[in-house]
Amino acid sequence: MSVEVKRKDQNQSWLLPSVLSGMSLTFGKMWGNLFNRKKMPTLNYPEEKYEYGPRFKGNHVLTVKKDGSLRCTACMLCATNCPADCITIIASEHDNEEVEKFPIHYEIDILRCVFCGFCEEACPVDAIRMGPEWQSPALNGGSFVYDIRHLAFRSELRGGIESRLDDAERHKAGI
Amino acid sequence: MLKCNINGVDLEVPEGTKLIEAFLKAEQKIAHYCWHPGLSVAGVCRLCMCEIEGNPRLQIACNTEVQEGMVASNQSEKVKETVRWGMDFHLINHPLDCPICDQAGECGLQEQYMEYGQYTPSMAHAKVKKRKVVSLGSKVVLDSERCILCSRCVRFTDEVTKTHELGIFNRGDKSEIGTFHDKPLENKYAVNTVDICPVGALTSKEFRFKQRVWYLKDEKTVCPGCSTGCSVKVYHNQEGLFRVKPEYDAEVNEHWMCDEGRGVFDWVNRQNRQSYSVNAENMEKPSSSELKLILTAQQTVEEYESLFEYLKSSNKKVEVYYWKNNPDKFDDFDNLLIRGDKNPNTKGLLETAVKHDITLNPFSGFDGFESFEGDIWFILPENKAVYPLYEQYVEKALKLENNLTIFAVPKVKVDKTKKNISILPLKTYFEKDGHFLNFNGLKRQLKPGPLQVSSALALNEWVSFVKSDDFGDQVDLLSKRKSEGFRKKNEMTQTGGGL
Repeated sequence: MSVEVKRKDQNQSWLLPSVLSGMSLTFGKMWGNLFNRKKMPTLNYPEEKYEYGPRFKGNHVLTVKKDGSLRCTACMLCATNCPADCITIIASEHDNEEVEKFPIHYEIDILRCVFCGFCEEACPVDAIRMGPEWQSPALNGGSFVYDIRHLAFRSELRGGIESRLDDAERHKAGI
Repeated sequence: MLKCNINGVDLEVPEGTKLIEAFLKAEQKIAHYCWHPGLSVAGVCRLCMCEIEGNPRLQIACNTEVQEGMVASNQSEKVKETVRWGMDFHLINHPLDCPICDQAGECGLQEQYMEYGQYTPSMAHAKVKKRKVVSLGSKVVLDSERCILCSRCVRFTDEVTKTHELGIFNRGDKSEIGTFHDKPLENKYAVNTVDICPVGALTSKEFRFKQRVWYLKDEKTVCPGCSTGCSVKVYHNQEGLFRVKPEYDAEVNEHWMCDEGRGVFDWVNRQNRQSYSVNAENMEKPSSSELKLILTAQQTVEEYESLFEYLKSSNKKVEVYYWKNNPDKFDDFDNLLIRGDKNPNTKGLLETAVKHDITLNPFSGFDGFESFEGDIWFILPENKAVYPLYEQYVEKALKLENNLTIFAVPKVKVDKTKKNISILPLKTYFEKDGHFLNFNGLKRQLKPGPLQVSSALALNEWVSFVKSDDFGDQVDLLSKRKSEGFRKKNEMTQTGGGL
């Protein structure tokens, strides 16, 4: 089998013009970025971070009620709906009979999660949301399994995200 | 027999049949809550409406007897409209707490709302709030908000147990189910009220919040709790067994079962089981020619058959001891279901022993065993809770110097350095094939469910191993066997996974 070697045509052998045009583009951008940093499209990660809009489906958040307790009633619809099977819930009886049922254990294995948002859609009580956070670095495998403390009360949430549903008001309205 | 026509289907029913039974016999859908085949007719839910030819008004099917030549239907728009409005009235004060409610997934209200519901509610006023999480004794929790006042549970305590604890209190939209001054509902059949409750008003304390019902799969089998042998459904998933419910059986238990029988699944779960064999190689050695065998009446007929056949065919001098738990209470009966004989297969054991000409000596401790030099086989009962002397006898057995083989379902704590003791894990009633004979000799067929302990075998399978030459290889193979048949968590809900 013979391989046909393409000879360079006459124009390609003139290297200098194309090198110069490339260099002018590079240096043009460089000077531009140096003197007009606001227009620079890249970020200095990790010092600077990009913030997505509130509708971005990033890391999960468990919402809380006015008194700071979990909104979740452990109905397990999110776990049932989860296509990646990454949610584990253990329910228990609550002392307060108006609450009745609550999760004593709620875990999301974020490495299994596919960020489809089905849990958010399945939730009947606005207890789980997917927030704008998108980074989830950790040092070992265990820290990728998020528990209640991380999901509802991590420091980024500044004391927890309050659910828009209010049980007391709903009760008064006779729902 | 009476001829009638239901929704265009011609059928014959015996005299005295209610119209709703004819509907169900003709396999026609009909909405109903308060009617239950095991209870009297109350006619309070007004949902089983049907049109009868020649009758200007709609009638309830549950309280109308079939007459000769009756033509009934529930297909017309008039009937459907009535049922829709009936359903809407039921939902006026029903709270929307399905996420919390344990009944969700097997709820009559959910199912029938999907079928007959009026999807735009017309109620403008606030719901009437009632009491929630009222504890009725140690087994049942009442939520009177969810109750739709079908009165099934009230009729159950009136007609089946005849203890009359439950009643309907107050009037109008303040009506509530309850016991007088919230006295505990402590009869021996109380959890049946939870089964027949079509909504989540009565829930079982034992099962409450343990699992959502859609994660559970049911397996029909026989309750081994006593010699009645009720047909039951065992609900389980890959995490183990969670509850037992009665299954309709006209010959034995009809629709009911006792509360004691609902607790007899605990020993099947992995954490309570002997899950590996100890010193199984002992069984290979040529052992002595004398054998003493201690057994209880908790194994199936098939197991006794193969065991006795083996004993007869081996050239050993065999003595069989029959361990009875409480012989003085064996004939007790509460006139409903519970019998004093807490073994499922006493009759089967006695009959098989007679058939194989085996004498059963009564077992009363290891007193005569000191001078005995031969082998001992000790088949422990599955349900150790009904054997008061269980711990004591096992402890004594483990001190014996004989070549001892223990066939065990519950965990046996043994010093592994003692080479004379071998322990072989047994299958439970939930996992093995076979049948029991109940108190009057009726055959109660077991159906094998998924294996909970992979190295467990039924007694007849162990016997066939002992008979064969390559016992050791077989046990090795067994230890590599995987527990199979477990259901994936979302198997039911995520069928196909299509979007």
